[in-house]
Amino acid sequence: MTALLEIKDLRARIGDKEILKGLSLTIQPGEIHAIMGPNGSGKSTLANVLMGNPNYEVTGGDILFRGESLLEMTPDERARKGLFLAFQYPVAIPGVTLVNFMRQAVNATRGHEVPIREFRETLFEKMDLLKVDQDFARRYVNDGFSGGEKKRAEMLQMAMLQPAMAVLDETDSGLDIDALRTVAEGVNTLMNEKMGLLLITHYQRLLNYIKPQFVHVLIEGRIVKSGGPELAEQLEASGYDELEAQLATA
Amino acid sequence: MTAVVEQRLDFRAASQRAGEGDPAWLTPVRANAANLASEMEWPDSRAERPWKYYDISGIGLTPETAAAEEHVTCEGLERGARVSLLADHGTPEADAAAKLFASVVTPGTDRLTALHYAYTNAGIAVHVPSNAELAAPVRIKRTASGGGLATPHTLIITGANSRVTIVEEFTSDGSNIVALPVVEVAPGPGSEVRYYAIHNWGGNTKVFMHQRFAGTQRDAQFQNLQLVLGGEVVKGHLESSLVERGTASELLGVGFGVSNEHADFFTLQDHVGPDTRSDLVYKSALKDDAQSVYYGLTRVGLGAKNADAAQENRNLLLSKTAKADSDPVLEILTSDIIRASHGATAGPVEQDQLFYLQARGIPYKEAEAMLVRAFLEEVFGRVPNEELRQELVDRLEEKLD
Repeated sequence: MTALLEIKDLRARIGDKEILKGLSLTIQPGEIHAIMGPNGSGKSTLANVLMGNPNYEVTGGDILFRGESLLEMTPDERARKGLFLAFQYPVAIPGVTLVNFMRQAVNATRGHEVPIREFRETLFEKMDLLKVDQDFARRYVNDGFSGGEKKRAEMLQMAMLQPAMAVLDETDSGLDIDALRTVAEGVNTLMNEKMGLLLITHYQRLLNYIKPQFVHVLIEGRIVKSGGPELAEQLEASGYDELEAQLATA
Repeated sequence: MTAVVEQRLDFRAASQRAGEGDPAWLTPVRANAANLASEMEWPDSRAERPWKYYDISGIGLTPETAAAEEHVTCEGLERGARVSLLADHGTPEADAAAKLFASVVTPGTDRLTALHYAYTNAGIAVHVPSNAELAAPVRIKRTASGGGLATPHTLIITGANSRVTIVEEFTSDGSNIVALPVVEVAPGPGSEVRYYAIHNWGGNTKVFMHQRFAGTQRDAQFQNLQLVLGGEVVKGHLESSLVERGTASELLGVGFGVSNEHADFFTLQDHVGPDTRSDLVYKSALKDDAQSVYYGLTRVGLGAKNADAAQENRNLLLSKTAKADSDPVLEILTSDIIRASHGATAGPVEQDQLFYLQARGIPYKEAEAMLVRAFLEEVFGRVPNEELRQELVDRLEEKLD
């Protein structure tokens, strides 16, 4: 069976600095994976490289999506293949309304014009799911949004685009506990047996609400340890320092 | 040593021919303008700052230059608003027009305005009576064709506490045309005038226009929008004179330049009286070899106590060869003001924004077009009439596509 996402010995840098130093990871349909790691371990670099951010340069390895290499694809091509990244810091775009943006995005990813009525019905349904007001969609994309609003907007986009593979970069940061619960419920509702989910996070908190089957620890650009959900709890209890110390002596 | 001697250009005979059939009051105005046009030199690129990026001396206007074919229509007059033509006489409107014609933009401003007044025949005046509020915009449509010199003239006269929006669209055919439009705005006290110019000129038309708002009556308000869609050169000289207490102006400009189009604006926000307000936002997005020039002066005079002035020019460069020159200048003679701000930027589309849109499946070209629209959107957002705002956005969309 072809994996949904297969990252093979991935190396990447920003400027002269190598950040990912041979990262490998395979995700099958229906699986939820979590990558945990301290600051500077390469978590956000991984997210950006997966989506094709031109600021990062891949220097080795490969990323296969349903067996097809993504490396030569532009970000929009990757998105149309079914890859989605929920940004840690979504950028504001004054002058573009969220509703207009999502309509363009939905049309682009589906490859055809979705009738406006159908689009609206889906939009309102998803907005209900994520408990956001209807006037939210008429605001400019992320412009003046609170931290929580930005994350909800990301989840709303994910709900509208229904990607095959979603990467959530630090989606729990900036959320209070109620917002976190709402966002997690939304994600759990959207998740299905054909879809893959990769949670990138510093803390275990999010994993109390979205349960991964696989947890990986990322340190200095490599996955140093993989396991089940118990690994996240261990990390929460003992912290990254202990693990790093163990690795140093090993 | 060689001396460069310009051949004297005598426009008087040609002006006289253009003035056949003039009402009596117009004859001396035209004769004076013809004298000025013959005596004055072309604006000097080296000496006159608004002309730094465009040398007009080779424009080739001579007394032999034919007049272009010009047509004008005016629609949407209601609530007692009327239009009069230059040739009219014997009506109260014609009398009012005769009194104000050439007083807001004077013939001696430069050689181009002198030529304008020496030749103009396509002149109309829009009159709005006191206390009249026109719900829908008045529409002026102009065309020029057949090559040569076009001299459209628009005079706007409004009574006390009236409100009007006037949309004037300029078009021309593909022939070689030099257009010298003049727009004069003479508002009554407390009157609110919105004047929007749509520049949809042909690809071989060079435009040098003058527009001026004379804020000589208390609390008169002016909003001006320049939407530049086409024309080989569109160069404008826009001025708002805030003379009386409480006068205000908002000058807006939106341009999307392609191929080798050159849009070039000089603006003057002239605060003379107390409690005067002015705001300005000029934005252009530029592709290919298009060039945008903006030079704007905000002048706050000694008597302009509590003046509030803002001025902002932003340019989006969509190619390596597009060019923007921006120079907003403040000249403040009194410290007793509320605000005087200015800013200018020029740069490419934000890469982070592009990546974000692309990450949602939107192809690069489309994403870039969305960001261009978003960038220009801010200016349209200031047009209070929603229907009209949408219409202006749509007009720009046609060019973006």
